[in-house]
Amino acid sequence: MKFLCVPCDTPMRLRATEESEPGSLSVVYSCPQCGYEMAMLTNAQETQMVRSLGVRIGPAAAKALAAAPTGELAAAEAGTAKCPFSAVLGGSTIGVPADPPAVEVGPAWTPEALARLEAIPEMVRPMARAGVEMVAREQGHRVIDEAVLAAARARFGM
Amino acid sequence: MRTYSQIAGDGGSDVAGQIAELGAAIARRLASVRHRVAIGSGKGGVGKSTLTRQLAAVLSAAGRRVGILDADLNGPSQALLGGVRGTPPLPGENGLVVPRSRDGVRILSAGSVLGDGAALAWPGAEAGHQHVWRATREFASLAELLAAVDWGPLDVLLVDLPPGPERTAQFADFLGPATDVVLVTVPSALARGVVARSLDALRALPNRRLGYVENMSGYACPGCATVRPLFPEDSETASLGLACLGRVPFDPELARLCDRGVAVTEMAASDGPASPVLAALRDVATELMNRLEESR
Repeated sequence: MKFLCVPCDTPMRLRATEESEPGSLSVVYSCPQCGYEMAMLTNAQETQMVRSLGVRIGPAAAKALAAAPTGELAAAEAGTAKCPFSAVLGGSTIGVPADPPAVEVGPAWTPEALARLEAIPEMVRPMARAGVEMVAREQGHRVIDEAVLAAARARFGM
Repeated sequence: MRTYSQIAGDGGSDVAGQIAELGAAIARRLASVRHRVAIGSGKGGVGKSTLTRQLAAVLSAAGRRVGILDADLNGPSQALLGGVRGTPPLPGENGLVVPRSRDGVRILSAGSVLGDGAALAWPGAEAGHQHVWRATREFASLAELLAAVDWGPLDVLLVDLPPGPERTAQFADFLGPATDVVLVTVPSALARGVVARSLDALRALPNRRLGYVENMSGYACPGCATVRPLFPEDSETASLGLACLGRVPFDPELARLCDRGVAVTEMAASDGPASPVLAALRDVATELMNRLEESR
């Protein structure tokens, strides 16, 4: 969708995107000529269409996608629940605990290890994190770095 | 006043570029996979998933590097069949590393990260409208996974499809023309009729249809090692007009072991003489590889 500033006959620029309320995106455009700003507010169906396509809406969307080493896509901005697995992970009964006890402080992650975690799809990230942290605890690591990631893969036979 | 086509770009988000980049990322990931085979049917309950898993086991035992993509996000079974429930995919040096079964098959299945009996929820959809978007979201999720997985070099990637004739064609289309299709049926007129619909839906696509496997083709008696009919032999079954890659009997012992993540090749190693199922699966695997190696 494109927007045109009619008085200037100039294409407007996408300036910012935010999920202003659940199920709605506020997409702000401005005219580079006269500075006039306008916002497109999406309804629930329009927001859902964007989510379903698995694309980002925003000025840095394409750049962010290209920078993601695994081609990770997010549905919309602002960290809303997008993951189809998130609703069931809390009640997971499988070997790796999805949610460690609240009182327990998890191992710290180095920026490099965290970058690797964040480069994998969001839908598998919670269980991957839980699996790695479980191995870190088993092996007495207080900091998760790339060596611990490798140890976790070895522990799970990968 | 300018018109749409007179303005460059798409409004700032480059949605088309994102979708193209996703496709390119998937292509890069699958470049290390020699053969892609979608195993579908259209009919549910014919043993697609079990056949996929056991075919992978036989191919792996023959020295092939094999992966399984469980394309059924809502009803995943490959994690259980491969014994990798509770083993999550992990971040690796070059993307997402997926679990391996004991016999070395790489398995990507939602069942690795879902609890028993847990259904996927697709958040964000308004109540009463989830059905409108669900298929699109499923494919987007699958695409995101495919763009992330570091399969490493594979000889064969088997894709276990969900049931539904129209979905069989949709997944073949999603996986691209380089993906060949194998259909699974059982010796009943009902199943064959549904498989025929899948075949009809696939005809509009460029994917090669390698043939079909007749599963549950008799009952392999573990007591006397003979194969007896499981379905009435006089069932009127429509011809599929497709090559038969083989017939695999039903073995109740294998069915029991499947629930424990044991492969047919492991069963043969531990339980004495090879079962008729293993022999049949080896024939199917040989026929499959012969057809895959044929030039396109």
